[in-house]
Amino acid sequence: MTLLPWKRTVNQTEPTGFADLALPLLPSLYNVAFWLSRNAADAEDLVQETYLKALRGFASFAPGSNFKAWIFRILRNTYLTSRSGLAAMRTVALEDESYLEGAIDRQTPEINLIRLGDCAAVQAAMETLPAPLLEVILLCDVEEMKYREIASVLEIPIGTVMSRIARARAALRTALQANVAPREFRA
Amino acid sequence: MTDHLSPATLNAVADGELSADQHATANEHLAGCSSCTASAREQSLLKSATARAGQRYTLPPELEERLASQAEAPATARSMSGIWSPGWITAAALLLVFSSMTVSQRHTRKVEIASAEQAALVTEVFDQHIAMLAGNLPPQVISTDRHTVKPWFQGKIPFSFNLPENLPADTTLDGANLTYLHNQPVAQLLYSIGKHRVSVFVRQKHGATGASDLATEHSGFHVTDFSTGDLDGVAVSDVDPVRLKELVSLIKGAQS
Repeated sequence: MTLLPWKRTVNQTEPTGFADLALPLLPSLYNVAFWLSRNAADAEDLVQETYLKALRGFASFAPGSNFKAWIFRILRNTYLTSRSGLAAMRTVALEDESYLEGAIDRQTPEINLIRLGDCAAVQAAMETLPAPLLEVILLCDVEEMKYREIASVLEIPIGTVMSRIARARAALRTALQANVAPREFRA
Repeated sequence: MTDHLSPATLNAVADGELSADQHATANEHLAGCSSCTASAREQSLLKSATARAGQRYTLPPELEERLASQAEAPATARSMSGIWSPGWITAAALLLVFSSMTVSQRHTRKVEIASAEQAALVTEVFDQHIAMLAGNLPPQVISTDRHTVKPWFQGKIPFSFNLPENLPADTTLDGANLTYLHNQPVAQLLYSIGKHRVSVFVRQKHGATGASDLATEHSGFHVTDFSTGDLDGVAVSDVDPVRLKELVSLIKGAQS
């Protein structure tokens, strides 16, 4: 089939408008927002505020650069100034960003391997993570971002990203081992 | 046998973050070390388990529709800036026809955007008030004297405002902060009504906002606004809304 010239142009065009770039990311933004804020109303507020800030600031976004990292950085900064973000970050101090040899437990209990197949158990373990460790796991494992993208979103060095991922996974293993009972977030 | 792989390397293996050389070196070690192989396997299993479990919350369709409708306006603007081929001219002509049919829809969209912006403003005001309460820091200017608080803002904000002289019996001015809303400098006036803290944000009027008579509740806090010829104000507190409105009316009255 021969396409009309203007239709061919449309097919060859990369998405460059705000809607083309932002709308496909809404489910991911909401999922991360809900994990961080821990309730539906705050997550909706967070996504809406992020979206409006991104829409207003879209002129400052450099075309061709990483839009996903850009809008997630807005989400994260908005979360940090929100009520839930202030509470979460105020109560957590990451006292040591260095690696601990114990971060990898070489005597992995068999129960952990079994429980990894239990989605509810893994979710319950994730709920026990403090916000700075949870956010790095969400960006790395759920959003499949590269370390340098995560560093850009969180505005921290790549070494700190690696350190936090190691600490987060160690904490997850400990939580799974401790047989954390699944619980529901309040909706 | 060399030393075991470090935690950083094991995580990087699971995350696919090793360079080709590093990957080859790691693979060489893993081929001869059952302990590291088991650890690397568990890292990968943990990563895939959290990836699955992390996909937990579904975007509410109404939120998606609301935000999508707000993005349509910029999308329309972009479509007008494309390359002008004969096909595009035809498309543009069609667009003109459609644009005449969608004037009323645009008005509706503007109302929706204004409503969303107002919701964002309430959230931002609320966050600033909570941050002030949580920070437990003294105001940037501490004074109960309106003649001290008002001049403090000289040179800090591109507008001026008046503070009411007579306040209700148990209402006091505690001071003020210079802060920002929607990237605009605003005066955050801090009052106490009894033991309840009140933040009143005063900013320069912009656009067609104002006179919306906003009175809403956000997480147990009351939010109310006022508007004068040059200024917009928003007040937030957990005090009785009648008392909050009384204070807001006094501040509004002081501007005339």
